[in-house]
Parts: sequence; structure tokens; C-alpha cells
Amino acid sequence: MVSRDQVENVLGRIRPMMQADGGDIELVDVQGNSAHVRLTGMCAGCPSAHMTLYMGVEMALRDEIKEFEELVVV
Amino acid sequence: MRTPAAFSPDDVVVGHSTRMRAIFDFVRVVSRSDSSVIITGESGTGKEVIANLLHHSSSRRHQPFVAVSCALFSENLIETELFGHERGAFTGAIKDKPGRFEMAQGGTLFLDDIDDVPLSMQVKLLRAIQNRTVERVGGTRSINVNVRVITGSKRDLKKMVAEGNFREDLFYRLNVLPIVLPPLRERREDIPLLTDFFFRRFAAQRGIDTPAISPAVRYAFGRYRWPGNVRELENACERIVQTCTCGTVRTGCLAANVLFGGGDPVAAPAAVELSVAEPSSISLDDRLREVESNLITWALKVSDGNKSRAAELLSIKRSTLGDRIARCGLSDHPAPAADSAEPEVRATA
Repeated sequence: MVSRDQVENVLGRIRPMMQADGGDIELVDVQGNSAHVRLTGMCAGCPSAHMTLYMGVEMALRDEIKEFEELVVV
Repeated sequence: MRTPAAFSPDDVVVGHSTRMRAIFDFVRVVSRSDSSVIITGESGTGKEVIANLLHHSSSRRHQPFVAVSCALFSENLIETELFGHERGAFTGAIKDKPGRFEMAQGGTLFLDDIDDVPLSMQVKLLRAIQNRTVERVGGTRSINVNVRVITGSKRDLKKMVAEGNFREDLFYRLNVLPIVLPPLRERREDIPLLTDFFFRRFAAQRGIDTPAISPAVRYAFGRYRWPGNVRELENACERIVQTCTCGTVRTGCLAANVLFGGGDPVAAPAAVELSVAEPSSISLDDRLREVESNLITWALKVSDGNKSRAAELLSIKRSTLGDRIARCGLSDHPAPAADSAEPEVRATA
């Protein structure tokens, strides 16, 4: 079971940079081994950013948390 | 086979770093000569760009520039690739084919990845370069070739010679004019300039305005390690320009590896990177001299230029200090003492 803290820990590493750009990545929920996140601010409406962040963050989460399964951008 | 894209010397970004400026000054000098040049540098540092620039600044610029990667071919293929073959030399050799040496006749031949050439082939290469003649595979006549040979290597050939993996005679034949290209992480001051250049170029290709770059992206680019060097930066810029929808490059555009760092602390550019996974050579003498020079500067500073006192602080003889000051090229009278009297020893343990 993945904990909220574990996910927040990984997100925390990119959050300052996203915030510097007037955006953020918000952890909505952790269900089982999957996390639901929401992009807010500047990059929220950009399909490319969705894809890039989705792939990047999911890869980082899987790297750091062995049991992590899926990132869902809501 | 590589088809070199149209090259324009205007497409070359020199950069602000003193190392790159020195390299370009050197290129200007050696482009007038016909001697062999060897360009050493990690993948993506711009070996072929420099080779191209050398060719296009030389008197051979109206003749062909032929670039070939020696890593692409198997041991047998490389010989026919470089020297060509005669009809019937082997199964499938249905017609005569000139090799790369002949194709570069009058111009420049860039042999990249020379460190991947097998030992057995090295001797043939040596003979061709030394005698300026080649023999096609299956042929008997010698063909004179007038080419300037530039080689590229990602490994230190001298080390390979010491390890017995590269022929010493060929090494000396090639290593007349050496150019060593620094990895991008050792010239981070050029990253902003290169970034702007690539964004401008790819935006022009796509027919859009050059996107603005947010400070957070600049920071991330400056911090990232760029293991693929300039080629990786170019690739990152291309990808971002192709996917940009809002006209500004922000954190959301960055790929995972750049976003999540993998960066060295930017504050310590002089620190020696002693990687175990990817060991690269450093100069112990230079590093030691740096430490020595920093300590002597500190001692002279805190003793107000009094050498006897400085020598005492360093636990060495007064006469030895004089020698060492000269050896490090330091001035006897340091600049007026700064506020801090801490030794500026940057080389981390």
C-alpha cells in the first residue's frame, strides 16, 4: 500500500519549480497503489504538459516506490 | 552511411566559455594545415561539427567532406567501406565500388569513433594514411588519395594505447593536432546561449515565434547533468518547441530526467567529479596545483604578504614557499586582504 507521504515526497521535488512557474501539482487521492493528481495554474490547460508530466512523474514514482502502479491525472 | 546535413559555419555556436573560445581559435589556426586532427570528446559534444568547421574553413572547402562512423561496420565491412572493393571481390560484389578515402579525394575524411576500429584494421588504416594510397578489396593497384584525415574518438586513445587496445604507431600518426571537447556540464555558462539558439532554430523551422523561457526552466537546464551533452540539449529543445502550445516554455514542458534533476550542485563547478560508474580522466597534477595555489594564496593573504610568516603557517621552509609561488604562477604580493581570511579550498574531499 502506497502512502500519501511517499507520493508527496516525490511530488515535493518538482513542486518548487512548478510553483515558480505559477503552477502546481496537487495530490487529490491515493487509492491502493495508485495516485490521482491534478495540474493547476499555468500548465493546466496544455495537453503537452499533461503528457510530459504524466510520463515524468509516473516514472519517478515507480522509481522511488517499488509497489507504485498508476498515476491518474484528473 | 551518413548523409551529412548541409553545413553552414553560421550554425556553429561558439559560446562564452574560455575553453570553447580557445578551441575555436585553435580550429582557425589548424584549418590552414593539412595535418591529421584528432577530436576527442564524449558523445554529443560536437566532434562532427568541429570536423565540418575545420573542413569548411580550409582550402579544401570546395572539395568533398566525407564523414563516416567506424562504429557502424563489422570488421569485414569496414575495410570495403573505407577502401572500396573491385567487382567479384566477394559474393555480392557485383560492381566496383570506391571507398570513403576515394570519395573524399581532394577533400576531408572524418573518421568518427576511431576507438571502435579493430586492431587488425588499424594497421591497414595506418598504411593508407602514411602512404596516402589505398588498395580496394580484391584489387591490386594502389590508388593515390589526397585527403586530410580528421578522426573522432570518445575515449582517450592514449589510454587505449597503454592498455594495448590501440596501435601506438597509428596513434602518433593521428595525434598531430589534438582537440579535446569538454562535456556540456563543464561549460554550463554556455547552456543559456545554446538553449536560445536551438529554440530559435526549431521555432523558425516550425514557423512559430520563438517561445519565451521561464526562469524555472532556465534553472532546471542549468542544473541538469546533460549526459548526452549538446546533442541532448538540442533534442530537448526540439521536443519542447514541437509540443509547445502556449508560447512560453515552463516546467510542465520538461522531460522527466531534466525535471527531476540528476544534476550536480551548480555551486561547485570546480569540484572533481569522481564517478565510479563512468570514470573519466582528470589531471592529478592540475588538481593538486589548484589546491596548492589556493592554500598559498590564503597563507599570503592572512600574513599580509609576509612570506616567512606564510611559510610558517604552511609548515614549509621559506625558500620552498618561494619556489612554490613561482611554480603556481602566483604573484608575491596578493591583492589586499579580503574580508574573509578563510582558505578558499574548493576541491572537496
